[in-house]
Amino acid sequence: MTITTTLPTDILSMELRPQPTTRQRSDDVAALPAALRSEWIKMRSLRSTPGLLVAVVAIGVMLSWILATFVKTDPDTHLPFTIGQTFVFSTWLTMVLAIVMGALSFASEVQHGTLATAITTQPARWVIVAAKAVVSAGLGLAMGVLGMAAGLGGAILGGLTAGDMSGSLATAGWGLLLTALAPMLGLGIGMIVRHSAAAVTGVLVWALVIENLVKTFAPVNFTRLLPFSAAAGLLGIKTAGDSAETMAAALTRVQDAFLFSGYVALAIAIGTALLYRNDAS
Amino acid sequence: MITVNSLTKQYGSRTAVDDLSFDVAAGRVTGFVGPNGAGKSTTMRMMVGLTRPDRGDVTYRGVSYSHLLHPSRVVGAVLDARSMHPGRTARNHLAAAAALAAIPARRVGEVLDEVGLESAADQRTGGFSLGMRQRLALAGALLGGPEVLLLDEPSNGLDPDGIRWLRNSLSAFADSGGTVFVSSHLIAELAMFADDLIVVGAGRLLAAEPVASTLARGEATVIVRTPQDAELRRLLERHGIDAVSTGDQLSVRRTTTAVVSQIAFDNRIQIIEIAETRRSLEEILLDMTGASAEFAAA
Repeated sequence: MTITTTLPTDILSMELRPQPTTRQRSDDVAALPAALRSEWIKMRSLRSTPGLLVAVVAIGVMLSWILATFVKTDPDTHLPFTIGQTFVFSTWLTMVLAIVMGALSFASEVQHGTLATAITTQPARWVIVAAKAVVSAGLGLAMGVLGMAAGLGGAILGGLTAGDMSGSLATAGWGLLLTALAPMLGLGIGMIVRHSAAAVTGVLVWALVIENLVKTFAPVNFTRLLPFSAAAGLLGIKTAGDSAETMAAALTRVQDAFLFSGYVALAIAIGTALLYRNDAS
Repeated sequence: MITVNSLTKQYGSRTAVDDLSFDVAAGRVTGFVGPNGAGKSTTMRMMVGLTRPDRGDVTYRGVSYSHLLHPSRVVGAVLDARSMHPGRTARNHLAAAAALAAIPARRVGEVLDEVGLESAADQRTGGFSLGMRQRLALAGALLGGPEVLLLDEPSNGLDPDGIRWLRNSLSAFADSGGTVFVSSHLIAELAMFADDLIVVGAGRLLAAEPVASTLARGEATVIVRTPQDAELRRLLERHGIDAVSTGDQLSVRRTTTAVVSQIAFDNRIQIIEIAETRRSLEEILLDMTGASAEFAAA
């Protein structure tokens, strides 16, 4: 490649430049909209983002359709599945994907060295964390909406009847709160682990294996406080590790919401403290 | 323009940067040289707030980096040209950086044009060569129209055309009043356009001076080819000048061709060839940093 250009000199006039302006605390808050724009560009400019949304829709449709077509009845109650029940089932998997997405929003920046670029541009590191939290929460919300809509579509495609829909709106609301909070939990995990593969593996193993194992031997008063128990409680669903005993001891949805939010706040707080303490890579 | 004051960084028991102080003047290209492990990258990372110094500080016209309201409008830094997401296009990579720095989006196209990457703007960076990544990283540094450029090994991966372009560009940037602080292993390359040198070894400052002063450290050697080498050597020694015989020629230090040729002429000694050589900047710097090199060839 033959280059004929040179760096511009018209933007300089160095000697005439005023003294560099000093940053105040209020400037950091004012920088938030810019950081949000930047995070949004990062999020929408990767092929993995639409890929994730397509995966959420596919999982929602397939899960409801499989339940309607092949399983047909609830194994516990032996009653036929209804649309009112099944539309939210895939939201648990949506939440896991949202946590992974949140973790990658930070860990992949470490992996590719772009975190250093962001921190040299915006030295107030909390601004970057806040922007990532807001944008990933927004995407998590969108994933939740799409997942539930897909679950509804799959249930209709599978020919399920509506059933009792009286609590569906509340369930959808709690589900969307969960999918909005989940990426922030992932973000905190990503900031703590700082490694993409380790963060994703850790989330999946914890969600799908460890927590279910713990439920087999630990007292219910302890297991109901685990993060994914709180998530299942918010959705009002039973997971693989749940028994009649654990379901009976379940917290209320409001308690589960506070509990899950507490895990999110803790992860973000630890991650942010580490981000300030450690050198940026 | 840049003031580095008592910068110190320790990793465990190893002192990476040891009480380093120097100034980098505006309107000049300042080379930052030293062997591997000398603390160059750690110093540059501390200069942009990526690594916290244990002691000391760095200021840009009196303001520390972390207190700059718009850091990228004052300092453009390239510390690792590989720092980009492979799945993002060059344009989006810069757009995200511009948005974070509240720089108008039109600058993205301008800087891509300035570094010669406009035709690759919508390609994903995963397919970029190292040279293209260097250009894109430099474009990122230029986004805010900074007055200071901090570049760590910017010519890595560039082809000869690219290196010449970089050299001319950095010189032009400095000529217009900008401050260029550039680390490089290519000392011969650096010698072609740097005005000043900061030389470090084992984290300590070894020299901070104009390139001309560094070059002056390398004493001249006069090489003489003569069939009467033993006789000429004896005559030179009589004048207090040491000469070493190397094959069919004499190597004479701390003198000039004029002095040697005059002595030979006065004593009717035939000279077949006489030349003065000076040690290269690379040789001088290797001598200066040799004792502090962490890794050296056997």
